[in-house]
Amino acid sequence: MKILVPVKRIAALEEDFEIRDDGRDVDGDFINWDLNEWDDYSLETAMQIKEAAGGEPEVVVVTVGPDDAEEVLRKCLAKGADRAIRVWDDALEGADQLAIARVLAGVAKTEAPDLILAGVQSSDHSHGCTGIALSALLDMPHAAVVAAMTYSAGDAKVRVQRELEGGMLHAVDVSTPAVLTIQLGINTPRYASLRGIKQAAARPIEELSAADLGADFASASRVRRMYVPEKSRAQMIEGSPAEQAARIAEIIREATGA
Amino acid sequence: MDNAASTATTSLYFAPEQITRVLFEGFASSAIYLFYIIGIAAIVVFCHGCYVQVRKYRRGAGDTASQAQIKDRLVAMVGTVLSHRTIKRRDTGAGHAHRLIFFGFVLLFIGTATITLEYDITARLFGFKFWYGDFYLWFSLVLDLAGVGLIAGMLYMMARRGWIKPPKLDYARPDREPGDPDFDRSGYRREDWAFLWALIIIAATGFVLEAARLVWLQDRPEVWTLRWWSPVGALLAEGMRAAGLGAEGAGSLRGGLWWFHGAIALVFIALIPRTKVKHIFTASGSLMFRDPLAAQRLPKTDPDAPSVGYAKITDLTWKHLLNLDACTKCGRCHEACPARAAGAPLSPRDVILSLREFANDALEKQSLPEEAKLDIHGKDVGQVFMETLWSCRTCMACVEICPVAVEHVPIIVQMRRKLVEEGQMEPLLQKTLQTIHKTGNSFGESKRKRAAWTKGLDFPVKDARKEPVDVLWFVGDYASFDPRNQKVTQGFARLLNQAGVNFGILYEGESNAGNDVRRVGEEGLYELLAENNIATLSSAGFKRIVTTDPHSFNTIKNEYPDFGGKYEIVHYTQMVLELIREGRLTPDRKLGYRTTYHDPCHLGRFNKEYDAPRALIEAVGCELVDMARSRDNSFCCGAGGGRIWIPDPVGKDKPAQIRMKEAAQIDGLEVFAVACPKDLTMFEDALKTTGNEGRFVVRELIELIEESMAPRQIAEEAVEAV
Amino acid sequence: MSGILVVAEHRQGVLRPVSLELVSAVQDVRGALGDKVTVAVIGAGARAHQQTLSMAGVDELVFIDTPDAEFDPEVTEAALAALAAEIRPSLVVVPHSVDSMGYAASLAIRNGYGFATDVFGVAADGAAVVATRGGYGQKVNVELEFPGASTVLLALRGGTWKPPVDAASPAARDFAFSAPASRSKNVEFISPPATNDVDMTAKEFILSVGRGVGEEDNIERFRELADTVGAALGCSRPVADSGWLPKSRQIGQSGKTAAQCKLYMAMGISGAIQHLAGMKHVETIIAVNTDPNASIFSVAKYGVIGDMFEIADELEKHFA
Repeated sequence: MKILVPVKRIAALEEDFEIRDDGRDVDGDFINWDLNEWDDYSLETAMQIKEAAGGEPEVVVVTVGPDDAEEVLRKCLAKGADRAIRVWDDALEGADQLAIARVLAGVAKTEAPDLILAGVQSSDHSHGCTGIALSALLDMPHAAVVAAMTYSAGDAKVRVQRELEGGMLHAVDVSTPAVLTIQLGINTPRYASLRGIKQAAARPIEELSAADLGADFASASRVRRMYVPEKSRAQMIEGSPAEQAARIAEIIREATGA
Repeated sequence: MDNAASTATTSLYFAPEQITRVLFEGFASSAIYLFYIIGIAAIVVFCHGCYVQVRKYRRGAGDTASQAQIKDRLVAMVGTVLSHRTIKRRDTGAGHAHRLIFFGFVLLFIGTATITLEYDITARLFGFKFWYGDFYLWFSLVLDLAGVGLIAGMLYMMARRGWIKPPKLDYARPDREPGDPDFDRSGYRREDWAFLWALIIIAATGFVLEAARLVWLQDRPEVWTLRWWSPVGALLAEGMRAAGLGAEGAGSLRGGLWWFHGAIALVFIALIPRTKVKHIFTASGSLMFRDPLAAQRLPKTDPDAPSVGYAKITDLTWKHLLNLDACTKCGRCHEACPARAAGAPLSPRDVILSLREFANDALEKQSLPEEAKLDIHGKDVGQVFMETLWSCRTCMACVEICPVAVEHVPIIVQMRRKLVEEGQMEPLLQKTLQTIHKTGNSFGESKRKRAAWTKGLDFPVKDARKEPVDVLWFVGDYASFDPRNQKVTQGFARLLNQAGVNFGILYEGESNAGNDVRRVGEEGLYELLAENNIATLSSAGFKRIVTTDPHSFNTIKNEYPDFGGKYEIVHYTQMVLELIREGRLTPDRKLGYRTTYHDPCHLGRFNKEYDAPRALIEAVGCELVDMARSRDNSFCCGAGGGRIWIPDPVGKDKPAQIRMKEAAQIDGLEVFAVACPKDLTMFEDALKTTGNEGRFVVRELIELIEESMAPRQIAEEAVEAV
Repeated sequence: MSGILVVAEHRQGVLRPVSLELVSAVQDVRGALGDKVTVAVIGAGARAHQQTLSMAGVDELVFIDTPDAEFDPEVTEAALAALAAEIRPSLVVVPHSVDSMGYAASLAIRNGYGFATDVFGVAADGAAVVATRGGYGQKVNVELEFPGASTVLLALRGGTWKPPVDAASPAARDFAFSAPASRSKNVEFISPPATNDVDMTAKEFILSVGRGVGEEDNIERFRELADTVGAALGCSRPVADSGWLPKSRQIGQSGKTAAQCKLYMAMGISGAIQHLAGMKHVETIIAVNTDPNASIFSVAKYGVIGDMFEIADELEKHFA
């Protein structure tokens, strides 16, 4: 039994960020990196399956990214993942999520996992498609936006609940091996103590170059321009809290006709 | 005392060797052998008990630091024990009673031991006898008085348990529900009474025995004439004679009582290592190995160890295992604990007692039980709840008041380290720790915004990383990012500027100091923060550090040295006082507010600075009225130990609210002064939620000082304008 | 130029409103990217939606019958692949929804389409599609192009375009394809826990609190405020996820839509896209937040930069 958990190092912008000179991305100086929030949940799901099965299932985390991306893999190792793989090639700079899915598919073909648990989306760009694109390349059954699941290592199918719009849930049986994209709130992710992360620094991270995987990594889109949108701006109510509240009270009375 | 005269009196009628204690007279030799057998058996049982206890402590982890300076430690311990300094605190009655019991017991013990020494050792081996004459007479008198003291002390303790019933002696546990096994710790209550009765019976039978012996030997002038040297015995003897007891009857009473008295005394001795009586040794030991910085400077961990913190009972150091046995359940910590007062499932005493019972259960056996049975975390009887550990605010109230140097806070933090390792914590706390790791501050703000508050000043603040300064100001998270505190922070900057102090800050180079992260138990993150700050500090040129934050103050002062960062650091109250005394700041407008001052835990209890803030209050012409609990007994605002990042349960008074209500009892209070950024946040909230808004205000001392300087500033500006 | 394919979405017999919004979305580019707008409905009983979809801007309705009335990602993907092979559209638009997250990426990567999700702007540069979406947590806009793709698949964000109002009579036909044996099986729909609490969709005045509320204790204070001002108390996802308020009070994509709301007051809500989805349409939005850059201010009519607790205290006085 093996579970593959693709994870992403996401970018959070600092407040006064600037767009790069070529106008296609944000200047890297203004980016803070972290493990994608959704991936915390997918890894936790994997860990819970592993622990429920007495620790036998192997949990492998994989990320596509440069050297610095190892940081997120260490965090995963600290949380209990058995192995970590990082794939990179400078040619992947600027690759879109479908290209990333192609790289991940290369890894998945070698690893042959029984279950792939991806996050629904990443908190930086929210494409929400890498996991499902990966399922296509592997021709595996899949379900997106899984908010609850029932599965024990080795089961032939997994019962998932997709979280639909408006809070409705849709229960679906998916045969395995399968690719699931995991939604926030499915569990409570465990904490990776800093000591754990430091100790994980000593553990090996398997490195692959995209070339090792021998596929082409075509993107399905290209950034033409990136810009800060002109935001329509609320009419700001100034003054002391008392004055502001007085104005709000007026607006409430107007709107409610009270 | 007139020794010469008394010697003259006694030797006038009797030869000195006649005047001595009658020991075995009247017993058959077989009875004397029997007594020796019982006596030796008691000593064997005692020794074995001691061996079992020592073996228990040795099953704990090592603690080399405590083994240094044994001689100094011994002297300090003896001083503490003899003076009863720690036992008197916040409970004078119990202190005096304990002193009577202690000295009574010690004298009686020495007395009995001396008899044995003479009869069984010096006399037998060397033919040397000293147990007669004046020595004996004085001895009788002293022992009689000791017995009176012991009984009096015991009676007070009985009255205290039976009638006065101070709440701290109620052993009911806040961490368990009624009906849970051992909810009220009734076993301890029974043991307390058994102990009291046993000692009082030993002492009382001693006196009756003495009286019976006097009546029995009333015909021997060397006994009867000198009977008033044993005043209590003599008094009782007079009573017996008046009641018609003759020498013969007294003789047989003496025979029975002799055995009764001797038997319980020997049983008592045999049981010392297995009952609360062992505190004679364990409390002394605990005091001897006292760490004066136990809560201020938490222990480092081994970065390569497979696990950290206290997970199993055997992870505790031998010293902490000894601490557990030292506890006498006096309840001072229970009374002082702010978490307990706020209804949290924590009493420091219960943590100690639970662990003690766990240790006795697991570690007194011939061989160690299997690993799984050593886990001290969990929901079973004897285990400590995670909720209990997370309730602690590490305010040090327990450690500070403990008369026997139990280190509750380090033990709790060590146990938290294990919980952190396993991620067993509030989700909000987990998030905050991740945020601190990511951004270096608990507010999740960008590093670049750390010095944003300086923009509100009309003078530049130096970057100490770029140019040398005299004073490096370590600002801290709350003072840097919290909007309310930023106003105070700007105020302090203005004060420094006005006083012409050459100061600077570290801008985005500063990280959270880590004091509270460490007390949460996230040691890895603490190390990271401390190492970052020390690296930044070592790249800056300065003479000393100042901070407005007592938490940062504590860790930089007491803990950074362990990581290679040794700096001179002062709290702002100390520095401002200095500036005022040097005439560089002149708060000349007398404010005249009726003011009370809340001692921040980390400034007061942790670092013993109680006076500088009070001197400042005086300097600005305010009338200081201390709350009932002040200085070392200050009541925590509830924000310590990372609790500022964990929401308090709904529906119960929080520590800060309890404190506000305490302050509100001061008639005509106008200002509740604080000297800590977290206090400002906690108490301004509590002021509102306790409905005291409008009655008095919460102010940082900095604000009071600025206020008292304001007119002068205006005056100067007016002069300039002219 | 071979037309535009719009994929309608329905669930439990009801057409999802976003379907018609997509029809509007493609009108601006229909000249540049293809004249014919085909709307496809997939699922057993698809014809039931014919009337609802017969709107201006639709040229043709295609109904694709499948074994199951409800969504199945593999069947949907196969149906669309077959239809696209026939009509060879230059642009395919689907709603950016939980369903499309289950098949769109797969469809795109298997067929070599240009692809982007959560798109809120569609334009044509010559005959090339240009899509605009947010990036870096919606802090920037990203314009995407799709070099070399003869078909571009875009998943469009709901609530961005207004649905067409005029009815029309587009041609309608059935389309048959060979449905693959699906490897997943629909079991049931589970409604969110019975709303014994309140129905937020029906409330006209909602006061919502977000992360800024800080701790569970403080909820009570805002419940009182809501009562005082006559509003229903709502919340954002983090508050509901923490269990401080029931899920039924959560406004947003995975919560409730403030459908009947006229006045929405957001306190301590930064305005994550998922929250905005449930309330940005409200006519009068008042936002209170300490962060002047909070994205809630971009949808609010009135903004207050300040402490939600202070404002709450002051506001209460006006309704005492």
